[in-house]
Amino acid sequence: MGPELSDAALVARCRAGDDSAWSLLVERFSRYVYAICSQGFRLSRHDAEDVFQDVFTKAYENLHKLRNDDAIRPWLAQLTRRLCIDRLREATREAPVEELEPDGMDEMIETLDEAMSVREGLARIGEPCGDMLDRFFARDQSYRTIGEELDLPAGTIASRISRCLEKLKGAMEDSGALVSPEVG
Amino acid sequence: MATFDIEELGRLIAALPPTPEGWVRAAQELPQVRRGLDDLLARAEADAALRAKLIADLESTLADAGIEPTRHVIADVRERLRSA
Repeated sequence: MGPELSDAALVARCRAGDDSAWSLLVERFSRYVYAICSQGFRLSRHDAEDVFQDVFTKAYENLHKLRNDDAIRPWLAQLTRRLCIDRLREATREAPVEELEPDGMDEMIETLDEAMSVREGLARIGEPCGDMLDRFFARDQSYRTIGEELDLPAGTIASRISRCLEKLKGAMEDSGALVSPEVG
Repeated sequence: MATFDIEELGRLIAALPPTPEGWVRAAQELPQVRRGLDDLLARAEADAALRAKLIADLESTLADAGIEPTRHVIADVRERLRSA
């Protein structure tokens, strides 16, 4: 069970009580939820951790209420936004709700949706390219660290990253247009 | 995004940095923890001594039952004990 499993199939398996599917669902969406909490709402690490756990707890409890299994991503985004606002509201009781959500949140979620599609592309191009691009861009590792950890000459990392980006670009273009499903 | 340029791809990969390891693991273990808690709380409902022990020393009782007493687990159990 891996990246080839669609979001809808993954949700169906979770709903059927498959623990390994739940584990994969958390892995698939953990960065997305984390990014909304930490980059979007700029919550402290402590608050972001609380919201992160609350999101997955509520998702686990309410998965049966999701009407469109394909819409798990926007459903999680809405849940995360609501719980981030609740957390901020606890800290600033006087502020109106509309002032608690940072400007540009819709655009930020759109960017994260595109970023999730790129992650699907990373999974499709396989290793070592997926891992190498993740290490360089998302984990901010240096050529030297990547070379040491993947047992590759550091001097070749830049050209490998460049080739992997081209491979990813091709995979993304082959996958077609990106359309977010409606919330279920 | 109809076309994908290389710089944009790099920026989008960077938009999703890794989540702290422990957070993911805790969320992944949710089903097993839930089943453990359900079992423990069901037994506590039928066993006054176990219920008293849970209330008096929640962390140790959870650990004895094989459940890691994280902050979130403790908060969850307290909430469930309150509403029981």
